[in-house]
Amino acid sequence: MTRPSRRCLVLLGATLVAACGADEEPASSGGSASKPVVVSAATSLKKALAAYGEQFEGGTVRLSFAGSDELAAQIRQGIKPDVFAAANTELPDALFAEGLVDKPVSFTTNELVLAVPEQGGTVDSVDDLGAEGTTLAIGAEGVPVGDYTRTVLDRLPAAQSKAILANVRSNEPDVGGVVGKLTQGAVDAGFVYRSDVEGAGGRLRPIELPDRLKPTVEYGVALVKRAPNPAGGRAFVTGLLDGAGARALSDNGFGSPPGR
Amino acid sequence: MTQARWFGPLLFTALVTALLFLILPVVAIFVDTGPGELLATLDDPAAVDALTLSLWTSALAVAIIVVVGTPAAYLLATRSFRGRSVVITLIELPLVLPPAVAGIGLLAALGPNGLIGDSLDDAGVRVVLTTASVVLALTFVAAPFYLRQAEAAFSALDRTWLEASRTLGAGEATTFAQVAIPAALPGLIAGLALAWGRALGEFGATLMFAGSFRGVTQTVPLAIYERFATDFTAALGLSAVLVAVSAAILLTVKLATHASPARVLAPR
Amino acid sequence: MSSLRVEAATDLGPIRLELDLTVAAGRCLAVVGASGAGKSSTLRIAAGLLRPRAGRVVCGDATWLDTERGINRRPEERRCGYVFQDYALFPHRRAWQNVAYALRDRPREHREAEARGWLSRFGLDAVADARPATLSGGERQRVALARALARRPDVLLLDEPLSALDATTRAGAERELAEVLAQTEIPVVLVTHDFTQAALIGDEVAVIDSGRLVQRGSASELAARPATAFVADFTGAVILRGTAAPAGDGTTEVTLAGGDRIRSTDTVQGPVAATVFPWEITVEPAGAWAGAPRSAQNRLDAEILSVTTIGGRVRLGLTGAERLTAEVSTTAVAHLDLRPGTAVAATWKAAATRLIAV
Repeated sequence: MTRPSRRCLVLLGATLVAACGADEEPASSGGSASKPVVVSAATSLKKALAAYGEQFEGGTVRLSFAGSDELAAQIRQGIKPDVFAAANTELPDALFAEGLVDKPVSFTTNELVLAVPEQGGTVDSVDDLGAEGTTLAIGAEGVPVGDYTRTVLDRLPAAQSKAILANVRSNEPDVGGVVGKLTQGAVDAGFVYRSDVEGAGGRLRPIELPDRLKPTVEYGVALVKRAPNPAGGRAFVTGLLDGAGARALSDNGFGSPPGR
Repeated sequence: MTQARWFGPLLFTALVTALLFLILPVVAIFVDTGPGELLATLDDPAAVDALTLSLWTSALAVAIIVVVGTPAAYLLATRSFRGRSVVITLIELPLVLPPAVAGIGLLAALGPNGLIGDSLDDAGVRVVLTTASVVLALTFVAAPFYLRQAEAAFSALDRTWLEASRTLGAGEATTFAQVAIPAALPGLIAGLALAWGRALGEFGATLMFAGSFRGVTQTVPLAIYERFATDFTAALGLSAVLVAVSAAILLTVKLATHASPARVLAPR
Repeated sequence: MSSLRVEAATDLGPIRLELDLTVAAGRCLAVVGASGAGKSSTLRIAAGLLRPRAGRVVCGDATWLDTERGINRRPEERRCGYVFQDYALFPHRRAWQNVAYALRDRPREHREAEARGWLSRFGLDAVADARPATLSGGERQRVALARALARRPDVLLLDEPLSALDATTRAGAERELAEVLAQTEIPVVLVTHDFTQAALIGDEVAVIDSGRLVQRGSASELAARPATAFVADFTGAVILRGTAAPAGDGTTEVTLAGGDRIRSTDTVQGPVAATVFPWEITVEPAGAWAGAPRSAQNRLDAEILSVTTIGGRVRLGLTGAERLTAEVSTTAVAHLDLRPGTAVAATWKAAATRLIAV
């Protein structure tokens, strides 16, 4: 089977599977009745980008949220959003190396924290995580929040990291799943972004990680090549770096981009 | 005459289109996966874990569904009582619920903050994120498939068979076991196959209610989803395995019914 | 041996059923009537498959149902043999297994042998291992009967047991059924919509119309003295028994039990029941006819026994070497001055004579 038709078939399957995990939020705004700007973004960006989309002047914004790795896989299969915003820089860089996107830019930072339920938590620090009977949820491998978590665990002594991993009860496909398990009360603790804690409406309490454990959480954004609306995409990214988007990000608990 | 000439080909085209659409993704999986990759998948212990978990949790769910559902369906089919149509609609409800809604519902009922889950949690019984919760989720989504078929199968029985059994000295329970079930068996087995297929494929409700953890709650669909983003080949391989297993189950069940509906039941 | 008594008062849709029937041991009561009249419901009440608003069912000294005293024995607790209209053979069991189902109070090792024995008695050895779907209508009917009798019931209830058969099979089946029933010592209730069948098989006939028992008696009584127009409509034929043989000119000559001979255009031989509808019989004063009887006409001498007027019709009960019933108009009665005691000649066409092998 030739490459294009093979990809065509795989695309069909991928779309079907991905449809389960991804969810779409149309965010409208004032502005011209021009083409919409389609944005694939990491789950942790949901609140910030939804707010930004409502204020966006350059047209209607269509947002699609899922684990960043899943979105990258979609782009590899040929799906072309105008903008790809990931929770790390590795994924956009990889796509750039594959010639699928323009050169990525870091647009914001976030902080990985240990989150516990606001009421009645049994965990107060990372040290408590290895205790017998403690349960936690983390992101799966390959998902940015999961990789960041594993970076943290790697920086711990081997015995401790092993004990903590033994207490993991679920490897979620995106950070939304980890937050969900926490807010349901299904686990005692989980590694999420600070922005997620702020967005959980008071139901979660963040425990800051010691500096030596903190990973650098840098979000990268890139314009997808040969996408339908490059002008709209450029306008979106500009606002993200310095405009309504940047404001929305800081309002929702994100840090300023590195070097600003 | 003119109407007849295009109607036939129209029907044929509709069927071919439907067939192609349904078969295409399945065929694509196998075309993309060589037999070498399929076998490599089976070498991966995580994949084997997922497969084993999927098989036995779905089997257990189906067993529960059949044991509880068969008498329930019989009652529904043979007795008329007030509110019967309401009960039937309630039973069919999970059928039209999106799996995500099913997941939410299970959480709302049995989650740590749920209606019943709250008290359970206080008593120290945490349901979520366990293998038991996988079985619960599968049972919830697959049960209506069996119940519907079973109710239809029992309804289709000739009532005089059941009455004849009673006049020959057999009580209600004996009639149920020795006349109703054997006579309705093909329909019951079809329902079982449907329910099992549904249980094997369940994803959304499982993810939300049971979580995803290898060997405990990561069933094959969840494992496929995890691999899809990072290792598409592995995802293909696992998909192929699941398709093969599901097809095997379906085939076995069909053969069991067709071979001889009578041989399934031993004569007294 | 004990008799069966069924009293019931209940609503069946638009009809109100009100009945009180008793059948003595060893006797067969044929219940006839139009569809929906309540005949099958009566059987179902007796068997416990239908619970009437008020009623009693007593078999011998056992009370099976008494709504006043709150007694209602379940079907499996009553010893009824029930043959359904479509036989209700279990499709997933072979013929002998169907019969064996009735033998649940026997030890398991003996069931097969006894079941096969029953089938043998009904001439079904060859199909004992067959499934109901592969059996012919007549075979299914016999298996159903064997199954019902295998339980050694106290009462036998037959709900239109021959309706599902085609005409040819039915004739033979009627004969067989009559023989089987003649040998049973339990009360039998046979429901049918066919009066001729009822007359042939039953010792007595009861006519049900719109849920009520309208008349009960022997077949000839009902035909000769119908209590209502409905009974008159229903009880058609006069039945004469005799032996048939070809007459040489294409017709069949039947030598009746009383010695007379009649002709029929049906070609049946051997022992027969010859039937004629009362309205096909013409009555003339005796002696009015002179000359040799023609082969196309039958003629018997008789004396009028009874004159019964229903609406615009008159039923005449005739007696002589045979019992006959003729139906004539009121005008004819007046014109010919027909009254009990008048000697007459009853004539009807050979073509109007139907023969049933018995």
